[in-house]
Amino acid sequence: MSIAHDVLFSQMAAAEPWPENAMLYQPLKGEQILLSDNASCLAVQAFLRICNLSVQVVHRANAEYMSPSGKPPFIHVGNHVVSELGPIVQFAKAKGHSLSEGLDEVQKAEMKAYMELVNNMLLTAELYIQWCDDSTSSKITRSRYGSPYPWPLNHILAYQKQWEIRRKMKAIGWAGKNLEQVYEDVDQCCQALSQRLGNQSYFFNRQPTELDALVFGHLFTILTTQLTNDALSEKVKNYENLVKFCRRVEQNYFEELDHESRLSPTSRSLRDTPPK
Amino acid sequence: VISLHANFRSLDPLPIHGPEFGSAMDEAETIEVEPESKQQVLENKEVVVQHVHVDGVKRTKDDILAYEIADVFRAKNLIEVMKKSHEARERLLRMGIFRHVDVLIDTAHGEEALPHGLDVIFEVKEMRRLTGSYNTMVGNNEGSMVLGLKLPNLFGRAEKVTFQFSYGTKETSYGLSFFKPQIGNFDRNFSMNFYKVTGQFPWSSIRETDRGVSAEYNIPFWSTQHTLKWEGVWRDLGCLSRTASFAVREESGHSLKSSISHAMAIDSRNSAILPKRGALLKINQELAGYTGGDVSFLKEDFELQLNKELLWDTVLSASLWGGLLIPIGDKGSSIADRFYLGGPTTVRGFSMYSIGPQSEGDYLGGEAYWAGGLHMYTPLPFRPGQGGFGDLFRTHFFLNAGNLCNLNYGEGPRAHLQKLAECIRWSYGAGIVLRLGNIARLELNYCIPMGVQSGDRYVPSFTSAFLLFGGFWSPVA
Repeated sequence: MSIAHDVLFSQMAAAEPWPENAMLYQPLKGEQILLSDNASCLAVQAFLRICNLSVQVVHRANAEYMSPSGKPPFIHVGNHVVSELGPIVQFAKAKGHSLSEGLDEVQKAEMKAYMELVNNMLLTAELYIQWCDDSTSSKITRSRYGSPYPWPLNHILAYQKQWEIRRKMKAIGWAGKNLEQVYEDVDQCCQALSQRLGNQSYFFNRQPTELDALVFGHLFTILTTQLTNDALSEKVKNYENLVKFCRRVEQNYFEELDHESRLSPTSRSLRDTPPK
Repeated sequence: VISLHANFRSLDPLPIHGPEFGSAMDEAETIEVEPESKQQVLENKEVVVQHVHVDGVKRTKDDILAYEIADVFRAKNLIEVMKKSHEARERLLRMGIFRHVDVLIDTAHGEEALPHGLDVIFEVKEMRRLTGSYNTMVGNNEGSMVLGLKLPNLFGRAEKVTFQFSYGTKETSYGLSFFKPQIGNFDRNFSMNFYKVTGQFPWSSIRETDRGVSAEYNIPFWSTQHTLKWEGVWRDLGCLSRTASFAVREESGHSLKSSISHAMAIDSRNSAILPKRGALLKINQELAGYTGGDVSFLKEDFELQLNKELLWDTVLSASLWGGLLIPIGDKGSSIADRFYLGGPTTVRGFSMYSIGPQSEGDYLGGEAYWAGGLHMYTPLPFRPGQGGFGDLFRTHFFLNAGNLCNLNYGEGPRAHLQKLAECIRWSYGAGIVLRLGNIARLELNYCIPMGVQSGDRYVPSFTSAFLLFGGFWSPVA
């Protein structure tokens, strides 16, 4: 997105309040969504819930292709279509909803750095495990990714996506890594997050920010998703304060709302048996 | 070995016509009156065709040639010999495997020669194993370079492989096709195509990439031509810009259409562009979803055109199109399958495909449509350049009408007819038509659109020029 577009877009967006009929589009919940997409979708949901902005979650098999950036999720608010957490945070800010308003410049910079860390490490590791680990990609990823499509399109699209992700991994120098090294990266990332969190409720003390939404999205998804083995979730489980943090966000922002409306999308919990 | 020539039809199944038969006949006559000792007048005499030779054949198999020239043996007098040789020459040229064919008719030679015996000799020149073409095309805000390669007569029985690659400023497309005619019946043929075509449709803010395979079988039946076709297409739809309407955005993504279709055509017109007489009827039906894929519908459409020559070279032409798309199952129809209306091929005066259901300025197409046109073509006033360049021009007066909408299939046929009869868009005007060869026409019109509905887009300046390709342009997308 260009800067000029951003400016224009914020000005236009600011004019109207958050509408009642805002929609959040994401892939099909049961059989299609992948670990990495689920993490991104959950992060956006968490952010919007923490902001107390209401959205209706819509599941579409073509959410990825509907998204202007080619990545789910995206929100449709009034005439605007905004995809991924970063731009959605900007958009909400333009409408007067921000979670990082109270932070000083140093904290803001720190928050951005940790968000970059999560995107560069956790998201990339999720993508690596999904698409570059042969066992995971053949047993889980390709069949889930192709599930909305008829034969032979399901295979074509899945292999096309795999090829695209593998090329990206090559570009960022992850292609040469093995699974153990990737788990090691995840562990280091978790260690950094765990140390930053310490004994606080949220990363910047009492009030959750977009960093909390992002971390929750990824860690909660890793903890509740069944892969070919438990190696990835075990890495997260080693950090007790991170697991507690996930539980806290779930309780405060998902469960109480769920009591009000049973239709809510996130009916999974850390206590439930993880769905496949 | 690649010859370069710029020609719109270079990849067409029909060959570029060689010298007219008139010249071949002249040759035949001059040979006949050679000063021989036993010179005879053969015109009304019974003759026997004793031998038919085809000279210059290198790769072509004898069996297919035998079918094409067999008729010549049945000629009983010289006029018939010439007529049947002419027909045989046309048939040979139509196969697209010879660069030229010359006919020689001579008195029979050799030991068994009868006094009234004749030999017919076809002197042919086969096409090269590989031919190529190159041309550039400009249109639709895009320029493209088209490279074509053709292997005519691949296995010696008029099989043909063509490959076309179009590299444009915006999109790249290609196609590979294999064509095989039945021996002795060129009109009955089989072809297979593999292709990738990308198109941008600004009226719908959509970009579509199709990758497909199709197999088709053409069968002539009395004076009609039937085509049975199976097609499997992987369609990838995307928004042309960020500002595309949400209705179009919702259609983004991949789908697989597998359909069987039947097309029938009767064409008695004397020409595809600016015909003077004759009629055309085309009926098309397509059933998608029963052979796989995730798109299910039944689609019917037709085209009817009648031409009648009146006094002073004036031609009256009436046409009618219509179509219906019935989605099967609980999924609605796709933007890629619906009909579009408006523009120079259907209802003049309206912008290209800019009639009917729309969302935020993007036209979504309709599931039912009809369109009709009434034209009167006359020569230019005072007929400048008559008998030459001026004959390429025609003035025309026209009246176009049509409607496009979506149908609710719970409402029944009466409600549908009523819906199609409401809010009819129409236009009238006059203009000049330039005929470009036998493939295209250029129009310059003054046109007044009527019955414009809110949301329709029309051409406000009343003056517009269009280039229409008669041979391969269909009024619906």
